[in-house]
Amino acid sequence: MNTAEQTGTDLISVLHQGQRLLTPLPAALDWLIPLRERGAQGVAAMRLPGRKDEAWRYTSLAFLEQAEYRPLIEGPFDALQLDDVDEMLLNGHEGDRLVFVNGYLAPALSALGGASGGVVVSALAGGLGEVPASLRARLGEIAEQQHPFSALNTALMSDGALIHVPRGVASEKPIEILHVSVGTEQTGICHPRHLIVLEEDARAEIIERYCSLGDAVYFNNVSIEVSLGAGSELVHSRSQEESQNAQHLSDLQVRLGERSRYRLVLASLGGAWSRSDVRVTFEGEGAEAELDGLMLARDKQLNDVHLDIRHEVPHCSSRETFKGILDGKGRVVFDGRILVAQDAQKTDAQLSNDNLMLSRSAEVDTKPQLEIFADDVKCSHGTTVGELDGDMLFYLRSRGIPQVQATQMLCQGFAQEVLDRLPSEALRARTGKVLAERLNQTAA
Amino acid sequence: MKLSIKNLKAEVEGKEILKGLDLEVGPGEVHAVMGPNGSGKSTLAHVLAGRAGYTVTAGEVTMDGEDLLGLEPEQRAALGVFLAFQYPVELPGVNNTHFLKEALNAQRRARGERELDSVAFLKLIREKLAMVSMQPELLKRPVNAGFSGGEKKRNEILQMALLEPMLAILDETDSGLDIDALKTVSDGVNALRSPDRSVILVTHYQRLLDYIEPDFVHVLADGRIVRSGDKSLAKELEKKGYGWLTGKDEAA
Repeated sequence: MNTAEQTGTDLISVLHQGQRLLTPLPAALDWLIPLRERGAQGVAAMRLPGRKDEAWRYTSLAFLEQAEYRPLIEGPFDALQLDDVDEMLLNGHEGDRLVFVNGYLAPALSALGGASGGVVVSALAGGLGEVPASLRARLGEIAEQQHPFSALNTALMSDGALIHVPRGVASEKPIEILHVSVGTEQTGICHPRHLIVLEEDARAEIIERYCSLGDAVYFNNVSIEVSLGAGSELVHSRSQEESQNAQHLSDLQVRLGERSRYRLVLASLGGAWSRSDVRVTFEGEGAEAELDGLMLARDKQLNDVHLDIRHEVPHCSSRETFKGILDGKGRVVFDGRILVAQDAQKTDAQLSNDNLMLSRSAEVDTKPQLEIFADDVKCSHGTTVGELDGDMLFYLRSRGIPQVQATQMLCQGFAQEVLDRLPSEALRARTGKVLAERLNQTAA
Repeated sequence: MKLSIKNLKAEVEGKEILKGLDLEVGPGEVHAVMGPNGSGKSTLAHVLAGRAGYTVTAGEVTMDGEDLLGLEPEQRAALGVFLAFQYPVELPGVNNTHFLKEALNAQRRARGERELDSVAFLKLIREKLAMVSMQPELLKRPVNAGFSGGEKKRNEILQMALLEPMLAILDETDSGLDIDALKTVSDGVNALRSPDRSVILVTHYQRLLDYIEPDFVHVLADGRIVRSGDKSLAKELEKKGYGWLTGKDEAA
């Protein structure tokens, strides 16, 4: 018996606690029971990953032993007012907005009804009406069954966003999914579960955000499934600016149909411990994916991104550009795997990871991996780890800009290439501001 | 502004480059410092601006009586020292307008002056932009990133015009410029000239001095000033080459 079990937090105990304490599913969600059961079986069959598991080698789960993670239950934060989250809202956002508090939809804070053309913007629970049968069938379809936390999410999922864009429809305004986490007396864990489905030739822009009220301590175990039909296009922005005490894990699974386009911009700035798994699977020819990411790891912060890009079919392209900024004893883990299957001829895949170290005590573990089984492909990868450029710093200082400010400007500049990819101006401004504030705290 | 350099010795990576340099620059004066490659011209410019990597082993530099060598680069800038770089650095992701505004306001803050708001700043920068004939689009781009050689030099002169330094040091700003850009650079410097502002022009060639008339010309060789005179010295140098003063053959 390992120590995690003795102190009460391994996946099984989290599962059992969840099964015992979570609010029973309403009858309308009976259809979730078999899916949850499948997740529970998955959890039972897996152990907690450790240093010997390649995908977790640099990313310790030791924090699980430090506290007992209890399920966050629905209800206690109904009283949250719009004023309480006002600071987190994006200026000028006009599209639909789903706001979740501790993993549960808060209808009073959400703004719905703007979507037209048969676009469904809904939630799993939350009283937004029956989930259409067509969507029910898609839930759990592509989630990674081998991912222990994703399985745990499946076993305990209670709420999350459901977005469906019908064939040929372009959802005009961005749809926002905003998560707000509020601290509780005990260390909580929640399992938000989102499903995004674009049918043939549909288009949408989705903004997914994770914020905290105060220095809340909790574990956000998110799972997202994205399915893009032939010729569809999704622009997906994700920003994680959670509290410096939070743990954030998200497992994002994307399936691309032929000629579909997927654009992801990930800004991962917060959390004491943050892990993002992104798997993109090319299932139809001629599809494209562009992934940009920014990882901030301040002192004692761990920021991990694992990419798994699977070129299974010919004539697809993918570009992955990820940047890390580290300070103090911050740690960045980047694992970029690109698989090109034997049939996936004419694949074009380019991956890069550049890291800026502001401190000698910081650590980067970066591992690009190309696994190519086809013979007519164009693939490349590159990683860099460097300090701030002394010539750049001197140039700014020679103009009168003090060293601390010059450092921030250069960090911001380094990040800007990623931030500029964010399609929403409001989110770009917001993320830039959060980054500046956090870099400021670092300098102070 | 009065700059006084006495017996300045400086080394780079253990190699002595400046070997006891004396130079006095009075208020309103323009001094040209000329010399062959490797004579220490750029080292002098960088030591004055406070670049790391240069070790001053002897001598002193004062500006209006204040010890310059003990100050950080940003403190020197706030006092009015400006270095126009021979090779301006590209700053990817750092917006040019933002950079110019932060630089101006940082200096104003350091001097206890009121900062300019965005409106006042934009008005000012538009004026200066016209002065150096720079494309307004270049303000929206990252600093110097992808700029042509001439655009980078214009951007240096734009910064100088905006920051209005008391001591402008131009490090081979004329190198690689076509005649139009050279004229812009010269106009920028000439516009800055005033009874209390001073200029040091570091240059290899006499050409720049046709546009900016210096009060004094100095020849630097092997880390020391070996000859000083008025602008006629530059003409003479052009005719005779540096070998005339250094005793070495040098292809100019």
